[in-house]
Amino acid sequence: MTDDRSSPGQKALGHGGLALVLALVLIPYVYVIVTAFKPAEEIYDATWLPQRISFDAWIEVFEVNRFHLYLWNSLVAGAGSAALAILIAVPGAYIFARKEFRFREPFFYMIVGTLIFPFILLIVPITITWIRIGLFDTFIGLWLAFQIFAVPYSMWILRGYFAGLPKNLEEAAMVYGCTQFQAFYRVMLPLAKPVIVSVLFLAFLQGWSDFLFSNMLTTGDGPRTASVAIYASTAGGERVDWQVLMVMTLLTGVPPVVLYMLAQKHLAKTFAAT
Amino acid sequence: MKRSEERWLIILFLAPTTLFMLLLLWAPFLQGMWMSLHRWPFMGEPVWLGLRNYTDFLGAAYFWDAIEATLIYSLSTLFQLAVALVAALALRQPFVRFKALWRGIMIISYAMPPVVVGAIWLFLLDPGLGMITHYLMAFGIIEQPIYWFAENTWAKWMITLVASWTFWPFMFLIILSALQAIPQSRYELAEIYGANLWQRFVVVTLPAIRNAILVVVILRLAFNLAKIEQPFTLTGGGPGYETSVLSILMYRFAFMSGDFGMAFTVGMFLVVMTAALILPFAWLFQRQVGRA
Repeated sequence: MTDDRSSPGQKALGHGGLALVLALVLIPYVYVIVTAFKPAEEIYDATWLPQRISFDAWIEVFEVNRFHLYLWNSLVAGAGSAALAILIAVPGAYIFARKEFRFREPFFYMIVGTLIFPFILLIVPITITWIRIGLFDTFIGLWLAFQIFAVPYSMWILRGYFAGLPKNLEEAAMVYGCTQFQAFYRVMLPLAKPVIVSVLFLAFLQGWSDFLFSNMLTTGDGPRTASVAIYASTAGGERVDWQVLMVMTLLTGVPPVVLYMLAQKHLAKTFAAT
Repeated sequence: MKRSEERWLIILFLAPTTLFMLLLLWAPFLQGMWMSLHRWPFMGEPVWLGLRNYTDFLGAAYFWDAIEATLIYSLSTLFQLAVALVAALALRQPFVRFKALWRGIMIISYAMPPVVVGAIWLFLLDPGLGMITHYLMAFGIIEQPIYWFAENTWAKWMITLVASWTFWPFMFLIILSALQAIPQSRYELAEIYGANLWQRFVVVTLPAIRNAILVVVILRLAFNLAKIEQPFTLTGGGPGYETSVLSILMYRFAFMSGDFGMAFTVGMFLVVMTAALILPFAWLFQRQVGRA
C-alpha cells in the first residue's frame, strides 16, 4: 500500500514523530542491555561500548542470587492464575452471553465494573484473611488473589466473543441430540479456543508481572516472585549492584515482551472479533 | 421453553462466578470497611476506633501532600495521551513502512512488568552513575547531580513521567485501532475541498477518535491511580510524603507500618478520588454516545 500523494510536510511530520517515539522507547533499553554486559569496573562510565564484554553479572544472578528460583515462582504464579481465571470466567461468560435470566445485566456489571475500581485496596483485608486461613505465603493464595484483576477483563472479552457467535448454534447442536452441556462443550468451546488462548495469555502475563499483591502475600521463604525479588534488591538499603539488577530486569522483562511480539497477530485478530 | 436442564446449566456455570464475586470482591470489601473502623495491626488484636481513622487522616499533615501527589500523578494520563496520539498518528500514515515492527517496539515498555521498568529508571536516573544525569551534566544543562527521587520538587514529577513512559502504549493501541477504522476516502474528500493537514486532523480524524480517547482516558485514570509499582520502587512514597499518591500511602500503611485499619481508610479515599476524577469524562462519554 503505497500512497505517494502525501505532502512532504506530512511525511516529515510522520517520520519525525515516529523517530522521536522510537528513540524515547529504545535508547533506555539499549543502555540497559549494554550495562548488563559491562564489567564491574566500567559501571561508572556512561559508555555505550564496554571495553570488554563481561558475563560476570549473569553468572552472579544465578549462582549467588539464585534468580532462576524466583523466575520459576513467577512462572507458576502466572500459569496457575491463568488456568483458574479460565475455569471461572469461561462458564460464567458463556451464560452471560447466551442465556436469559433475571438481573443478568446488573450481575454482569457488578463484576466487570470492578475494572475501573482501584482493586489494590482489597489487598488489605485479603492479607489478613489469608494469614488467618493459612493461604498466606502459598501459591494457592497468590492464584486466588490474582483473580481479582484477571476475572473481570477475561469475562468481558469472553462474553463479547460468545455473544458474537451465530444465534442458533446450540439449538442446532441439540437437534442433533446434544444436551445443553454437550452443546457448550462440543460446539461452543472449540469455537472459542482462539479467544481463550488470548485470555490465558493476558492472565498469565498479569500474574507474571504482578508486584503489589505478591509483595504483600509472600515472604522470602515462600513463593516470592521475580518482581518482588527485584524490588527487594533495590530496597535493601545497601549499595545496589547495578549490573546484577539490570540482568534481573532483562530476565524478568524480556519473556513477556517476546510473548507479546509472538502473540501480536493472534491478539489483534481475536480482539477485532469481540 | 425454559427447560430444567437449561436452568441447571445456568446455575452450575454461574456458581464459580458467583463465588468469585462474593468471596473475592464483596466479602473483602465489606471486611475492609469493618477493618477501617479499627486499629488493626498486622499481627495482634484489633481495637475499635469508630471513625477515628477517617478523622485522623483528614486532619493529618500528610493528607494534603497525598492529595497533591495524587493529582500530579494523575496528569500522567495526559502525558500518555500526548505520546500515544503522536505514535498512533505516525503509524497511521500510508507512507510509513515496517508498521508491525514499530508497533511491536512501541509496546515493549507496556509488556514489561512495571517493577522491571521502575528498576531500570532507578538506574538511569541515579545521581551518581545514571545515564540521564551524565548527559545533562555533559551538555551543561545542570551543574550538580540532581537527586531526582529525594528532592521534594522533582520526585513527584519524576514518578509521573516514568509512569507515563511505561503506560502510554495501552492508549496507543486503542487509538490506533480507532484510526485504522477511518476510511482513507474521507481524507481524500477533505483534500478535494482544500483542507490542509491541520484542518484534516480537526475535521476528519478528531471526531472519529473522540470516543476512543474518552474511553482510554477513563480507563487509564482509574488504572494509573492504582498502578503504583514504579513510583513505589522509585521513591517508596518519599521524601516524607511528597510522592505518597493515595494508593502508595495505602500500601505504605499496610506493607511498612502494618496499620491495616488506616490502610483501608486511605483506600476508601482512593475510591472516592478515582470516581471524582473519572466522573466528568464518563459524563462526556455518555453525552457523546447519546448523541450518536
